[in-house]
Amino acid sequence: MLRLPVLLALLAVMADDPIKVGFATLASFEFKDGMTLPKEVTDLDEKLVTIRGFMQREVPGGGPVNQFMLVNESCGCNGTPKLPEVVFCTLPDGVTVDIKVSVATVTGKLFVGEVKEDGVVVMLYQMDADSVQ
Amino acid sequence: MKILLLLAVAVPAIAFWPSSQDPATTDWAKEVERACTSQRYGMRLAAGRKVAKGGAFAVDAIRAYATTKGLAAVPASLVDAVADEGTEEPAVVQLLRDWSMQRDFYWRANAMRGLALRAERLTGESAKGLRELFVSFHDDAAWLMRTSARFGSSVLGDDKALALAAPESDPRAIVRLTAQKLLAGKPAPLQPLLDALADERTFQGDPWGARLGDEAHKALKAWLGDAHPLANGGSFPDVPTGIAALLGPLRTKSGQDLKAPLARRDAAVEFAGGIEVLSCKHGDFFLQWTATGELHFGIDATKSLALPASKWDALSKECTQLALDGVLGDVVCDSMRLRWSKPNLHAKVAPASLPPAVTNWLKTFAQAIEEAGELRLAAALRAGLEQFAAR
Repeated sequence: MLRLPVLLALLAVMADDPIKVGFATLASFEFKDGMTLPKEVTDLDEKLVTIRGFMQREVPGGGPVNQFMLVNESCGCNGTPKLPEVVFCTLPDGVTVDIKVSVATVTGKLFVGEVKEDGVVVMLYQMDADSVQ
Repeated sequence: MKILLLLAVAVPAIAFWPSSQDPATTDWAKEVERACTSQRYGMRLAAGRKVAKGGAFAVDAIRAYATTKGLAAVPASLVDAVADEGTEEPAVVQLLRDWSMQRDFYWRANAMRGLALRAERLTGESAKGLRELFVSFHDDAAWLMRTSARFGSSVLGDDKALALAAPESDPRAIVRLTAQKLLAGKPAPLQPLLDALADERTFQGDPWGARLGDEAHKALKAWLGDAHPLANGGSFPDVPTGIAALLGPLRTKSGQDLKAPLARRDAAVEFAGGIEVLSCKHGDFFLQWTATGELHFGIDATKSLALPASKWDALSKECTQLALDGVLGDVVCDSMRLRWSKPNLHAKVAPASLPPAVTNWLKTFAQAIEEAGELRLAAALRAGLEQFAAR
């Protein structure tokens, strides 16, 4: 009799486990404005995910940040990160963190899809980040 | 009411109306400013592409911006956009040449790549001296620069000059050049890309091997096109499955005798610390050490050296006195990363930002390396210090 509640509890825990996502998946395609994004990335829309990468400021500066870009490498050796190679992360209001020197593991809800400003696509991946480790 | 309705329909329509601006009358100074300073990264990318599409019309504005704000204010995104656009106008080619020859310009390798991408199509003055330019950077200390230069020579079929270049030992350079040649439709052995798929090596927590794998897979996927097992999307459940699925199509299309790669992992050495110098100007330097003073050089830790115990004891004692944390200075491209466990320290330093105490310790370290017989490696560390020591 106890099996069903235990199973349900286990399923509930599993449902809350973030999906591990890599840049190999996020950046596996050449983006063109207006294209249909691949299913493997649209499937991640509004999912709780964990992504490992390097934190970068969107604009130069110093001090802790509430928003940052998560990219696949720290040195720019692969050229300018293209839009599929950047996750724009926002921490909860009032929460800030220092830009980490090492690889950061960021967990939060991912939003997938073109975001435009002045008719220009400025983002494909946004994350409401809950934690940075 | 009718006016409101008209406005409601017309405003969005005007906002998305395709603009066919005349490049001759475009305010390129404003566009360059946007490409360099927009707050949003995506806006900078888009503006960079627009400037690059402007070709020769935009060159004066780019040069004027660099003169006023300094070359370091020109972002990689703009240089990459100009490099990728492929326009053959002499003014653009000259801009790329000038950039590629500026040793102090962070993105000179990106500009050199732009020349390589156009090299086959250039004629007249634009083509003059291009072969020699590529050859002169074949053995540049910066791996990205020599890779772009060797790519240029490959595009021009300058095999004689390439044969005279020093053997390449940096795994990043080997993968990058192979990928570039493949994507440019030039003959390339695929085994280095296949090997990269199974690379799991790291340097002080940075999974550079996995990144090589991603880069190699992207190139192979583009090259295979419809023959790629995931041409219609999806992802492999794991790396070995992916490699097994790729081998057949790669062998068939290339006709090459390709072997399934063995996983490349870090050696079973416990490192107590390391220094990483990433310099687009002077080249990279990688050093890790064990608690007993065994030094390992290179991103792949292939070269080792044991320091005399007395030297190492003194160095490690001094090391425990050093305090450093977080990011020091404004890192644009070149950086020095220092990481060790006693005391726990992890810091990233911009050029001219390394505190004197750490600089002096590293000078002593370089001296010890020199005295142990590795003059070239000691010189490489000193070159890094010269760039990063606080002034």
